[in-house]
Amino acid sequence: MKFSINKSPKVITSYINWRKKLILMLLIGSLGILGVSLACLNFGVVSIHPKEIFSLIWNSSSDKTNSLIIWQLRIPRIIMAILAGAALSTVGGAFQGILRNPLADPYILGVSAGAALGACIGIALQYTTGYYLASFLPLFAFTGAMFSLYLVYMSSKISYTLESTGLLLAGVAINFLFSALITVLLALSKSELHSMIFWLMGDLSTANWNKITIITIPAIVGSLFLFLSSLDLNALSLGEEEALHLGVDTGKLRIRIFIIGSIIIASIVSFTGLIGFVGLIVPHITRLLVGPDHRVMLPTSALFGAIFLILCDTFARTIITPTEIPIGAVTAIVGAPLFIYLLRRRNV
Amino acid sequence: MSISETILKIENVDFSYNGNQKTLSKISFSVSRGELLGIIGPNGSGKTTLLKIVSGILKPNKGNMLLLNQNLNNLSIEKIAKFISVVPQDTWVTFSFKAKEVVFIGRLPYISRLKGETLEDYQISQEAMVKTQSLPLSEKNIQKISGGERQRVFIAKALAQTPQLLLLDEFTSHLDLNYKYEMLNLLKKALTEEGLTIISVFHDLNLASIASHRLILLNVGKIEKIGTPQEVLNEENLQKVYGVKPILIDHPYLKVPQVIM
Repeated sequence: MKFSINKSPKVITSYINWRKKLILMLLIGSLGILGVSLACLNFGVVSIHPKEIFSLIWNSSSDKTNSLIIWQLRIPRIIMAILAGAALSTVGGAFQGILRNPLADPYILGVSAGAALGACIGIALQYTTGYYLASFLPLFAFTGAMFSLYLVYMSSKISYTLESTGLLLAGVAINFLFSALITVLLALSKSELHSMIFWLMGDLSTANWNKITIITIPAIVGSLFLFLSSLDLNALSLGEEEALHLGVDTGKLRIRIFIIGSIIIASIVSFTGLIGFVGLIVPHITRLLVGPDHRVMLPTSALFGAIFLILCDTFARTIITPTEIPIGAVTAIVGAPLFIYLLRRRNV
Repeated sequence: MSISETILKIENVDFSYNGNQKTLSKISFSVSRGELLGIIGPNGSGKTTLLKIVSGILKPNKGNMLLLNQNLNNLSIEKIAKFISVVPQDTWVTFSFKAKEVVFIGRLPYISRLKGETLEDYQISQEAMVKTQSLPLSEKNIQKISGGERQRVFIAKALAQTPQLLLLDEFTSHLDLNYKYEMLNLLKKALTEEGLTIISVFHDLNLASIASHRLILLNVGKIEKIGTPQEVLNEENLQKVYGVKPILIDHPYLKVPQVIM
């Protein structure tokens, strides 16, 4: 005989509303992305009339130059911002979940430092050897990222049997080590300094359709895998042992999300550089708006992250035209006050 | 309901955290369906460790453990979660979940990740909240309710997991007197009417004496005495384990021993 509970006839309807909430958020988010993208297509060094933009989107025949600007520059850049914003926010939210730490971001487990070191080595080699390596930079970055993923995984395994603190400490240590090496490279560099700094601050200006094709699959497939772990992440929020008692293999969950998340991040930052802050604050803002249930929170923060990054990038490329400022600076300048405002409001 | 079917049987279990000093040694006991087995003993005697061994979080170095005639050591934690649920001593929830969401997480072992939950999962969660009188807390932020309220929510969560064996770790520590006894009544009802079995760690010897059918008295990782409250709570045993001479009186109605220090 099994311990059963008498079923009450009526269930409080508010209990089931996460699906409604999710659908509503997906709708709002998608429309938001569409609206913001169309609006941001208007901004740029060359001004193109909105009417013309619309006709260019439907049939790209009218004006060759403008068509090129819209189809080869602005649209790829916006799509890149969507992919990067969504991926960084999803992974940030998932990492906060597995580490049970609201201060975690997608870069905390070291993968970004590896990518950065890889990219900086690539840039340094280009300047010292004279070979043109710019188009291979993503490969350098991705290799660096995978190297750091391996190091973090191995060192967390040695020390703490993959508890969250073990993984966190290993990530922080590798971050420090690689950042120090990057600093050495920066200190030794001369003319290549500007390229390195731009890479470190994030840059969407090199977006093109090829890059989009390459990162779409890891970003989308990876994020779907993360979404499928939502209930397990909810359980982990109650505590390590609580999750075990609920049948969640927390060690495996953590490693799975660490590896999937890191691969997503590696493939994104290899092309965009280190766009900071998005992956930290967007999950928080989303939690304040829709609650902490990962089933709603993760997909919603993907969409919000996309909107946030399109706006930041448009800002970055237009605020002092024709000069661009690094997008990583914009995300922090815009995001930090917004974040503090929301936190204050919640506590009142 | 007669106490008959053995739910859990533990034989000669040894456990140590670091390999040299044994935290538990030669632990043997069994629990039958419908029974409430209390675990008492001084701080550091291994009460919580024993609970963690039973819940499958810690693996013993030696010994046999049978859960409903299956070897507990070979069961996956996914399987164990369908038999055993646990109310921990202290809880800390990372994000600001609502109380009803916390209770619903108790249904996790039964929910397919791809298909999602059913209406029944919500009904069971809600009924568990009704039983533990935590329904009025449904919409409240779990981080912002009192310790006692949170404990009731976590008991509801453990009941929503529909276990056969419920493990409690000082579950009354934050509860007010009225909830303490209501929770006790609720659990006793679940024992007799629904065939639940409970193993509970008690800090409060008097509550342990009132609530439990049998008691295990632990002393530095060994079972000093196992038996009914009358058999375990006597002057000789308590003085040996706790090192002070207690005064024992009989509860005026329940006729179980009560300790006055």
